[in-house]
Amino acid sequence: MLNLSDDQVLALAPDDSSRKSGKDLANPAKWVSKGVNELALWGECQGSGSKPYQTQVDTINMAFKCSCPSRKFPCKHSLGLMLLYARQPGTFTDNTPPAWVSEWLSKRAVKEEKKTAPDKAPDAEAQAKRQQARIRKVQDGIEELTQWLKDIVRNGIIDLPEKDYSFFDNISKRMIDAQAPGLSNMVKELSEAGFYQEGWQSPFLEKLARLYLTIQGFKRLDLLPSALQQDIRTLIGFPVSQDELKEQTGITDSWLILGKQSTEEDRLISERYWLYGQRSSRPALVLQFYMRNQGLPPLTLLPGATINAELVFYPSASPLRALIKQYTTVPAATPFKGHSNWEELMNAQTAISEVLPVYNEQVYTIDHLSPVWHQSQWWLQDKQEMLMPVKKDFADIWKLLAIGGGQPLPMAVVGKGMEYQPIGVWINEEYNLL
Amino acid sequence: MDQWNNIVNIGLLGTGRKTPAPQDFQEPLQAPAQQILDNAGTDREEQFLQLAALSFGYRQSGMQAVKAAVTPLPACKPEVKPYCSPAAIAALKQVMDIESIPLLQKWLEYCVAQQVLIPPAILPTLLDKAWKYKSLRTLVAAAGGHRAEWLGQLNNDWNFSRVVETPQDKWENGATAQRVEVLKEMRLTDPVTALSWLQETWSKESAGVKTEFLNAIEPTIRETDTDWLETLVNERSKQVKDQALKLLKKLPSSSWHAKYWDIVSTAIRVDGNNVTISLPPIDDSIFQSGIDKLSNDRKISDETYILYQLIELIHPSYWEKFLDRTAAEAISFFSEHPALQAFIPALIQATAWFKYQPWAQALMQNSEVCHIEILPLLPAAQQQAVCEQFFDQQQEAITRCAGDFTTQWSFTLAKQILSFAATQPYVYNQTYMNNVIHLIPVKIADTLDDIQAPDNWQTGYWSNIKTHLRKLLQVKKQVESLSSI
Repeated sequence: MLNLSDDQVLALAPDDSSRKSGKDLANPAKWVSKGVNELALWGECQGSGSKPYQTQVDTINMAFKCSCPSRKFPCKHSLGLMLLYARQPGTFTDNTPPAWVSEWLSKRAVKEEKKTAPDKAPDAEAQAKRQQARIRKVQDGIEELTQWLKDIVRNGIIDLPEKDYSFFDNISKRMIDAQAPGLSNMVKELSEAGFYQEGWQSPFLEKLARLYLTIQGFKRLDLLPSALQQDIRTLIGFPVSQDELKEQTGITDSWLILGKQSTEEDRLISERYWLYGQRSSRPALVLQFYMRNQGLPPLTLLPGATINAELVFYPSASPLRALIKQYTTVPAATPFKGHSNWEELMNAQTAISEVLPVYNEQVYTIDHLSPVWHQSQWWLQDKQEMLMPVKKDFADIWKLLAIGGGQPLPMAVVGKGMEYQPIGVWINEEYNLL
Repeated sequence: MDQWNNIVNIGLLGTGRKTPAPQDFQEPLQAPAQQILDNAGTDREEQFLQLAALSFGYRQSGMQAVKAAVTPLPACKPEVKPYCSPAAIAALKQVMDIESIPLLQKWLEYCVAQQVLIPPAILPTLLDKAWKYKSLRTLVAAAGGHRAEWLGQLNNDWNFSRVVETPQDKWENGATAQRVEVLKEMRLTDPVTALSWLQETWSKESAGVKTEFLNAIEPTIRETDTDWLETLVNERSKQVKDQALKLLKKLPSSSWHAKYWDIVSTAIRVDGNNVTISLPPIDDSIFQSGIDKLSNDRKISDETYILYQLIELIHPSYWEKFLDRTAAEAISFFSEHPALQAFIPALIQATAWFKYQPWAQALMQNSEVCHIEILPLLPAAQQQAVCEQFFDQQQEAITRCAGDFTTQWSFTLAKQILSFAATQPYVYNQTYMNNVIHLIPVKIADTLDDIQAPDNWQTGYWSNIKTHLRKLLQVKKQVESLSSI
């Protein structure tokens, strides 16, 4: 059975209220029965009804099931059970799963096998037609977006902080209409430039230039290397067939889940899992989107844990986004591997920029970093005394300082350019989430 | 860098006002920039966007970390004490989840008693709690070890976490909370030194700190403080002056007490069994010291009202000498004489004001009512017995007063209070339970089912409170059991 920490379990919670309710249920008095073995964790929680809720967690493939009516995922009972296990594993003395657990696990195994069966091949001609129609719509959208960008440039960005929400929202929606959801997101990112912060102009123009480069890349798609073409298409919002990806052979490795970042907008939850291959020494980003209260998320990974998995990377000039073909959670040592200093990291970033000028945030692991206070902000100082600013809204700076106590630590950071946010640290060769 | 700044500056103003020029760019961007600007087929906006994209790509491909001579933070001293056990951390998480400060205090007391430390990752959360709740500060500083002290040097809000060893060091170098703490301790063990500390540093302290010190010595105020306190009535800060006057009024040896007694002993004349009352002329300074001239009740004359206020500020032992009677006899004397009966509540107030235990016990002995004001002066066992006896008469007042007890409620009293709380679940809610959980005995959990809200409409709410209380009791049990592990 894997080792769970509070932070890992709480990182799975879909929202704050689930987090709070889960904590309330991490109480032995709430559980009529509870047990654990190498495959699963289970328990019966006494709710308001006469029959206790049956809660079960597949700890190998991290899946949850509960007989409660909640549509949240994982529900508060699953969170409570896992928290209780994290805090008092000794109280889980039953190792023989009851029938309702064994049945569920068997059904899951059958389902996994079925997943591998090939689906019917799509109608290629109809698909091509649809694709052509979509490209035309995107091209029209791009013309409109270019005009909008030019208007901004002509009038100057100085007055943008006074513009109302609709200024960005209208064009963002137009990009959805034009079937270019990626461009719509990039416009939204422009509107989230932090106009209240000093120095917003430079990052805003960086985002604007990236958007323009993407548009121009799409206009001249045929002239670009084929891998970069894929990146541009993805940025515009063309989907990549996951079925086709799954047919490819991926990279099998022990992947350390460095962290998870979630955002929610209009009930659409976006989750970003940052992974690091222990043998391949390569980072990966697993992205997933799902609607709140509409079914289960396709994937639930435990931040801070290690999975044995085969990952297929999306085609890209600098592959980062990946799809997990199959995985099992395993207890594993998580020693640090990564860049020695900022210079090495920035060189790696420049190498990415060279082949993918429109790259986005990356995850890096870097050794020997210490937070230092300089020019009224926090920086991360490396062994060569080079400094990199910490992201301004980074909330866990005091936790990072407390853990380090002034000693340099290997860290996992997410960011790009000149701003990074630590997401975890290694202490005594063991990875800890922040 | 300059060329990107040029792009930003043009972007700010807009191409309608400013257009890029070749000289805005340096090598190796100058040639491609010139090529973009020479393209007659593109408009100014398109040219700007192309130049911005060009500069953006160039800039992001050559970014370097900043080289600056910044001294790293001093490393924190290694800890000598061990960190608390995983069981203690699990208990702490439960405590934090239910947000009960008394239980957090109990957990911290366990750490301090067992000489174990809070793990670093949890420290910022606890330091924040201690910043918000002053009562936790010294405990968090003690259980936070060197790491808490080190963090306190980086975050001013947490500077209470400086660890100081000797009382003298604590007084001279500690944060205000620690100085207050050590002053309180020293007042009990070595009051002469404590007073000399105050006198030595007084002129260097701020008005806020002075007020905190005066508040701190209030429970241990003594005759030897009188001369020094008398000098403080000339302080510039009104806050300090008022607090000093308040303390002087608590000292029978003060000039204020003498003035008040002079008036009272002149006004009340006892001749054998006859009592006459006649207020002498009163100096204005008496009224300026906080005595009201006019009664706000028509049934009470101004004269009686003034005398009443003065009796409230006379140490009860003065009556024993004045009447040449014991405490119990003096109380009887007041209650037997119609002219003095009106002043019995003032005697109760005076007993509470001077925290005079012999009179508190005498007043409660054979009393048919519970004098809430003097309840805190009774020994713990008598306190609980009185509360149990008079609970039905004064449910609300006793419940309120019992919240400040320093010893855990008896099982009977706890049941009485919780049964009363069930009648007003919107007042005695989860927050109330959080605040008094240290006073509720754990074994009450077995009988919680017997305590029901009297009205149907309150049942659901009270049931939620009970569920919460059960959790609190379970966590309390978990914290209490840590010491036995």
